[in-house]
Amino acid sequence: MNNIWGSMEQYDPVVWNWIIAVYLFMAGLSAGSMMVAIGLKWYRQSRGLPTEGLPVIKAAAVVGPISICVGMALLMLDLTKPFEFYHILLNYNFTSVMAWGVLALLFYIPLVFVFSGLIFEKQLLKYAPWLSGVVNICRKLENSLNKLIFVLAIGVGIYTGFLLSALISYPILNTAVLPALFLASALSVGSAGNVLVATLFFSKKESDCIEQVHRIEYPVAFNEALCLVLLFVGLNFSGPAAQAATAAITTGTWASVFWIGVVGLGLVVPVLASTISPKSWRHTKGFLVTVSCSTILGVLALRHFVVYAGQSYIS
Amino acid sequence: MTKRYVLVHDENKCIGCQACNVACRSENNVPESVTRIQVRIEGPYGNFPNLHFKYNRVSCEQCEDAPCVKVCPTGAAYVNDDGIVSINEKKCVGCLYCIAACPYKVRFINPETRVPDKCDFCKESRLARGEDPACVAVCPTQALAFGDANDLTSEVSQLLDSKNHYQHKVNLGTKPRVYRIPSRKGGIKV
Repeated sequence: MNNIWGSMEQYDPVVWNWIIAVYLFMAGLSAGSMMVAIGLKWYRQSRGLPTEGLPVIKAAAVVGPISICVGMALLMLDLTKPFEFYHILLNYNFTSVMAWGVLALLFYIPLVFVFSGLIFEKQLLKYAPWLSGVVNICRKLENSLNKLIFVLAIGVGIYTGFLLSALISYPILNTAVLPALFLASALSVGSAGNVLVATLFFSKKESDCIEQVHRIEYPVAFNEALCLVLLFVGLNFSGPAAQAATAAITTGTWASVFWIGVVGLGLVVPVLASTISPKSWRHTKGFLVTVSCSTILGVLALRHFVVYAGQSYIS
Repeated sequence: MTKRYVLVHDENKCIGCQACNVACRSENNVPESVTRIQVRIEGPYGNFPNLHFKYNRVSCEQCEDAPCVKVCPTGAAYVNDDGIVSINEKKCVGCLYCIAACPYKVRFINPETRVPDKCDFCKESRLARGEDPACVAVCPTQALAFGDANDLTSEVSQLLDSKNHYQHKVNLGTKPRVYRIPSRKGGIKV
């Protein structure tokens, strides 16, 4: 429209775009895959079972570092001054959630590489024998490092939620449910990512560890669904602007993304697949690949829905 | 005593002529595709023959508790000693967090500097010389008043003490420093 006061283009409330949505997804995928792998390791250790060479843990050692690096690359390219990103590593304003995120990632990213290095020790030392000293030191610290990675992974998963909650004028984003929702969906995309990569590249036979990963999917899916319900019921009770924002799941493109992507692919398909599908299917490669891809797409849809629908409604 | 610069927009005197918009652009060399201030003409309100338009000044509110400053990861967005929300271009990486956080949506990326830009009450130029901001000086109907609210003899103090006024989105707790004297004409949106 040609207003006499000028263009309204710069006033578009949707400031962050799909690049941020994909970054939030990648950060969740990496953090989730680490939490699932380390959690599985602890579970098996506590029962005196071997943890060496488990396909799911090997998969996490691939998914964890690659996804966080892809995410960081996207994040950097989205800056208006990508080549001056180092300022964010030098200056910290601790009232900003982003500064806390930078700090967490600064420790998380190298440690994820250490985790991978220890999982693929043989292959690593074949190509870089000069690293054997460092690998030995890390091996001795492995248990403490795993604890640290687990805590940092929770931090990374949660910070991506608080990053958006801090935006006070967007009712859908400005809630404390969002970090919990992001953490729950990080766990589900992390386990799905691990199962997918494990099935495609590392699994030699029907493996019991995939079964164990599946077992956490129910509570995680339940929590995710609960967070979504809390989010929208909460909005309904938070005044007129927030109430108006509930239209995000009833009208427009993002409502379709929500019901088809987030609810359909992300929650209904995986839950139905593991409850009503015939037993004989459940450990076939095709089944595992389909179900985990469905979960991954669901979480990708969730991040897009939150970023776009979240910014479309302003109080 | 510290300064507390405020701006008062009298919606009864404003005629929506955009002289402020143009003066700002010229004073601050604002690129053509972006705007630091615009006066949106909203309405009509009321029923014939009692129709009128509302004039809504849209520019940085210089919040006393500014969300953009809180979320800036590097501290590039900061509040100056004079209370004016400012930007340190050297520290900024362009993450857009401040633009997303601003409830008034008055921050924008300057296409020339690649850094967020917005109204700063002309602090580098006119204010430094002791003059009023360009928009205030140019206003043909004197709808704008600018000054130190801590100085009880200033025009803004006297206006705010004697006239009914409101601010935008006070419920968010940002404490905006742009005060508005509402139109005396009644009417609800048709």
